[in-house]
Amino acid sequence: MTRLPFHRCVSVGFVLVVLCSYSALSQDPTTGSVEVTARVRIDGKQAKFARKSFYLLRGGLQDNKPILDRIKTTEITSRDCYYARLKASPAFICWLDAENCDSPYCRKIETDEIEAVPEFKAAYQKGLLLFGQKTDIAQQWLASNLAPALTGGFHREQQGVFERLLGGAILVKSAMTDAVTFKSTFVDIPVTVSEEKPVQMFTVSNITPFEFSGKSYVWSCQVEVSPEKLAVVRLIVPEGDKPVRNCEIVVKALKVCRTGTCGQQ
Amino acid sequence: MRKWIRIFLVLLLAGVFVLFWGRSAAQSRSDFLHNTAAHKRISCNSCHKMPTANWKAARGYPDVADYPGHAACFSCHRSDFFSGNKPSICAGCHANPGPRGAARLPFPVRSKSTDFSTIFPHDVHQNIIAYNQRLGNTAVAHFMKAGFSIDQQKEPQFNSCALCHQTSGKLPKFTTRELLKSSQALADPVAETFAPAAAFFKMSPDSHASCFSCHYQNQEPIRTNCAGCHSLTKPYVANRVLSRFSLKFDHQSKDHADKDCITCHIRITETGDLKSMKGADVPILTCSTSSCHASQIGSEISKRGASIAAKGFIFQCTYCHTSQIGRFPIPASHKAQ
Repeated sequence: MTRLPFHRCVSVGFVLVVLCSYSALSQDPTTGSVEVTARVRIDGKQAKFARKSFYLLRGGLQDNKPILDRIKTTEITSRDCYYARLKASPAFICWLDAENCDSPYCRKIETDEIEAVPEFKAAYQKGLLLFGQKTDIAQQWLASNLAPALTGGFHREQQGVFERLLGGAILVKSAMTDAVTFKSTFVDIPVTVSEEKPVQMFTVSNITPFEFSGKSYVWSCQVEVSPEKLAVVRLIVPEGDKPVRNCEIVVKALKVCRTGTCGQQ
Repeated sequence: MRKWIRIFLVLLLAGVFVLFWGRSAAQSRSDFLHNTAAHKRISCNSCHKMPTANWKAARGYPDVADYPGHAACFSCHRSDFFSGNKPSICAGCHANPGPRGAARLPFPVRSKSTDFSTIFPHDVHQNIIAYNQRLGNTAVAHFMKAGFSIDQQKEPQFNSCALCHQTSGKLPKFTTRELLKSSQALADPVAETFAPAAAFFKMSPDSHASCFSCHYQNQEPIRTNCAGCHSLTKPYVANRVLSRFSLKFDHQSKDHADKDCITCHIRITETGDLKSMKGADVPILTCSTSSCHASQIGSEISKRGASIAAKGFIFQCTYCHTSQIGRFPIPASHKAQ
């Protein structure tokens, strides 16, 4: 048997590598999808979490135990406490509370609300000076004249908490619930499956708590993802201390920081 | 061999001649680049004033609405201003170049190439500008000490995608999106009678107005921090033609207008930046697994299968698509659950 010269071996090897790479690239990557429904019955009330983020982590609950432990032990500042700490006016805090808003970016600030909320009034006056007495611009751009701590501050603080809770873990994806179906869907999730193991385990969690009726909630649920079927996660709140299958739910009472109430007139 | 070398050299010389004949730095509007070494060394604010003096008339809101003044160019390009009767540097801003100070071109020149790409993290914005569900049993607003309440009937206007993406008022230029090159059509396109209306389309912002409503000052990137949103890139001409897989989708139809944008645009919520955005395209599962369109999409897929099995005319999918797309093979995504 004759031996191939070295340069020919290299050429053949190169061709094989290119062919293998081409074949790998031309195969459709295997992907799956997960749908999370964030409409939950809590203490007899229907909580609908709209425009809230969920995150997808590789592995089951056990694989993500360090994150879950941090979620249990880390103290979180509630929205009320954040703004109370800034000494925001009660009217400002109630404006946020009225529509469950986290920041003044949440909704349009109406003319009568400018008069009622001292922070809005001051920002509006500043805008009039800056924008050549144009009242429409002063109102529409009012948020740009509020202090940064009042506008994006709470979000930045929550991001800091989020990074701490995650502790450097790599997220596969994030998805947000919509305001109509209260569902979020993770699509194009890369899954590695075989004949022996047709599903791959992932954990879905909101990581930073959702606030509802004076309590904070973090759901972490493991879910099997396969390329064939849309996996579905429905959030539930356990009655008493009953464990929920495939989920760990951390419920904490929120610290009360406000001094009054925003009740009906 | 020598002959080919000669031809190559002649072509090279001709190319260089065409490229540089009669041109010097900043001689025409298209030639002005922010991306040169000399321009990159200076800050944006040393040339552009924010806002410019003409903002009220030009825009109605504070904005960079005009070219930088002569002083911005003069220190480096002094000699260019005095070269000939119609100095070509003037053509950068003036409609009729010359020493008489002719009218300026509209600012910015939309047909010109740009050397900036936009930095816009969708995910950060949607986390902050979040539509929140009205709390059923709470007063819309009653402020302590303020002592007033807002009309219960008046729905609050939540800031959401519509803050930047408005329904189109006039029919934009549109086309069908290109499919993968490897995809072979199963049939010839049929004559199309369908035409989308203007309201089918949502537009993207093409001015500072929506950005400045939050970022004019205080909240970074503010108006003077141009690099916070604009990053230098190779010059390109922005494609203003909207391309769609499903030209028949009407954003304003009764059953679509009452949905949240991210009910369907679910990929947007996982997009950090415009540059890494896979597309605002809607994964088929948002339509096919819904009670609204599951049966029609399923029916079209079956009809296509049957037409292939019968080896007759290929059924074209026209419920969502025009024939330009509907005559191609059904992708795997449409068949998956």
